[in-house]
Amino acid sequence: MLKSYLGDQKEVIVEAGYTIRETLISLGMNPDLVAGIFVNQDQQSKDYILQDGDIVNLLAVIGGG
Amino acid sequence: MNGYGGTILRVNLTDGKISKEPTPAQLARDFIGGRGFGIYFLFKEVPKGIDPLGPENKLFISTGPLSGMMAPGGGKCDWTTKSPLTGGYADASMGGHFTAEMKYAGIDTIILEGISTKPVYLFIDNDKIQLLDASSLWGKGAIDVEVELKHKYGEEYQIAAIGPGGENQVLYACINHDFGRQAGRGGVGAVMGSKKLKAIVLHGTKSVAVADLESYRKAGLALYKACKDAEGLAEWSRYGTTVVTSWCNEVGALPTRNFSAGSFEGIDHINGQAMRKEIVITDKGCFGCPSPCGKYSNMKRYNTQVEGPEYETIGLMGSNLGIADIQSVAEANRLADDLGLDTISTGSCIAWAMECYEKGILTKADTDGLELKFGNTEAVFTLIKKIAHREGKIGDLLALGVKQASQEVGKGSEKFAIQVKGMEQSAYATHNATAMLLAYMTCDVGAHHNRSWAITYDLQVGREKVVPEKVARIIWLQNFRPMFDVFGSCRLQWVELGIDRELYCPLLESITGIKRSWQDLEAVGNRIWNLTRMYWARENDSFGREWDYPAQRFYTEPPKTGATAGQITKFEDVQKLLDMYYEQRGWDDNGLPTQATLETLNLTALVV
Repeated sequence: MLKSYLGDQKEVIVEAGYTIRETLISLGMNPDLVAGIFVNQDQQSKDYILQDGDIVNLLAVIGGG
Repeated sequence: MNGYGGTILRVNLTDGKISKEPTPAQLARDFIGGRGFGIYFLFKEVPKGIDPLGPENKLFISTGPLSGMMAPGGGKCDWTTKSPLTGGYADASMGGHFTAEMKYAGIDTIILEGISTKPVYLFIDNDKIQLLDASSLWGKGAIDVEVELKHKYGEEYQIAAIGPGGENQVLYACINHDFGRQAGRGGVGAVMGSKKLKAIVLHGTKSVAVADLESYRKAGLALYKACKDAEGLAEWSRYGTTVVTSWCNEVGALPTRNFSAGSFEGIDHINGQAMRKEIVITDKGCFGCPSPCGKYSNMKRYNTQVEGPEYETIGLMGSNLGIADIQSVAEANRLADDLGLDTISTGSCIAWAMECYEKGILTKADTDGLELKFGNTEAVFTLIKKIAHREGKIGDLLALGVKQASQEVGKGSEKFAIQVKGMEQSAYATHNATAMLLAYMTCDVGAHHNRSWAITYDLQVGREKVVPEKVARIIWLQNFRPMFDVFGSCRLQWVELGIDRELYCPLLESITGIKRSWQDLEAVGNRIWNLTRMYWARENDSFGREWDYPAQRFYTEPPKTGATAGQITKFEDVQKLLDMYYEQRGWDDNGLPTQATLETLNLTALVV
């Protein structure tokens, strides 16, 4: 689902220095649809400020619990 | 019969008679297994109007064709009974390794009937089946009993046990297995306790025939590969269901202080990150699971350990109680597990009592001196023990569940008893999430999310919207998701990892020899759905639309804080949702399947 916001790409390079939330909005995503943010494998909040070299995985929860 | 153990084991606890019958091929064809077998037997064998805690109730434990097989998460069995909590249909899905052992012992369903005069445990080792004296186990915690029985018989024996909660017939007592897995909801543990059955010890070493061995290997490996290749596998495995905790808080879905809000200020102290930082030792999976959601945790402050907590317990025993400390939530989890209480219902009952206390409806005279304010961790620990032992006024009151407790206390407390059909709502606040609200309203065991989950869908479509598409989504999920409980496998591989569900069809065909598409399988799901609905109608003369109403809070009291501050669903929209739901289901205006629907589903003979 989230890939649809990135032209169906699995990966995209973004600028450091912004929060995850700001970055999601800049990519056209509704931040509410992103359930999990994992920066270098650790879960972080959407207020996390991106650093150079960070690898961020996004998780949407479609099926739920 | 390919894919099945082949036997129904009948255990009469009144006269001690143990007998076996072959599993009917037509039953396997029509109802497949798991909860399908459960509702069939419940309708057929348990007379109308019986006392759920009396000798005429039965407890059915069923595997499915994927139980114990090369299927990701093929470790689930289904426990079905008439619920002492709700007076209606109850089933609970239990993970771990019990189901595999049942399959290897050649058993598809265990039927527990009657009541023993003294505490016993059921011992099954392939064809050696006995009822043995459990007087030395009675009174002990479920985890302690599991340890003791494993020491006695061996690590390879699988144990399911009740704690004091089940022994004392707390109406939401659960059954424990594998140190941290439960048949959790609906009071299945109370039914086991009413029969004076303390535990089941199980071991099996028989083979299971499959229709096409080569296709089975190929299909099973394809499913495992899909899991291995799934995006998100690492994240789901690392954090388990706690992945969603912070997000639920952000979108106003985290139950907070008895569902008075959907966001909690202490979230950073109870989310997945807090868990991994403070308490998690290692991951733990069920039989055949490639995405272990379980977490073994060590609580240094209390010098105790638990498997958990997972999201539901964090919600109901953390934020819902105003507790902002993961170690305390984990300790509450451990107490509930060992004492044999469903953490969801327990958390909800305590939250209701806390709100009563803060409003002056209950005083210290009613709470045996406990100061039941939100956030009082020690009071929570004490209360869990009191509930399990039905000790004191408050312990005995809360053992009834939140619906009955609030009816006894009155004074307006019914308005904030967060339940549907008598079952306490699980951990998604639904102040403004109409699809998820409908899911809770129409779930066939009461307010549980296991059948359909639609939080993201609500956010995508528009959370306040009341549209036919939302209703169609919930109905589709209700026909589809519980099929995993029929198969005897976990749903989280589809739910969390998003693997292609089409991969299950060749696996099922290779095992059973019966080709079924998802259209066929959902038709079985729809049949089961209508049957569980008819069971409620059979057992409750007044059953109808009002039984589907949500907790009042969700249409009368908007949260004051958090992501859903000021938001609420209108009662007229509750009615619109039900109108659309009944129409799409082929039910009448009162929510009962029409004769035409029952005929189409070939259920008329069974429901007479």
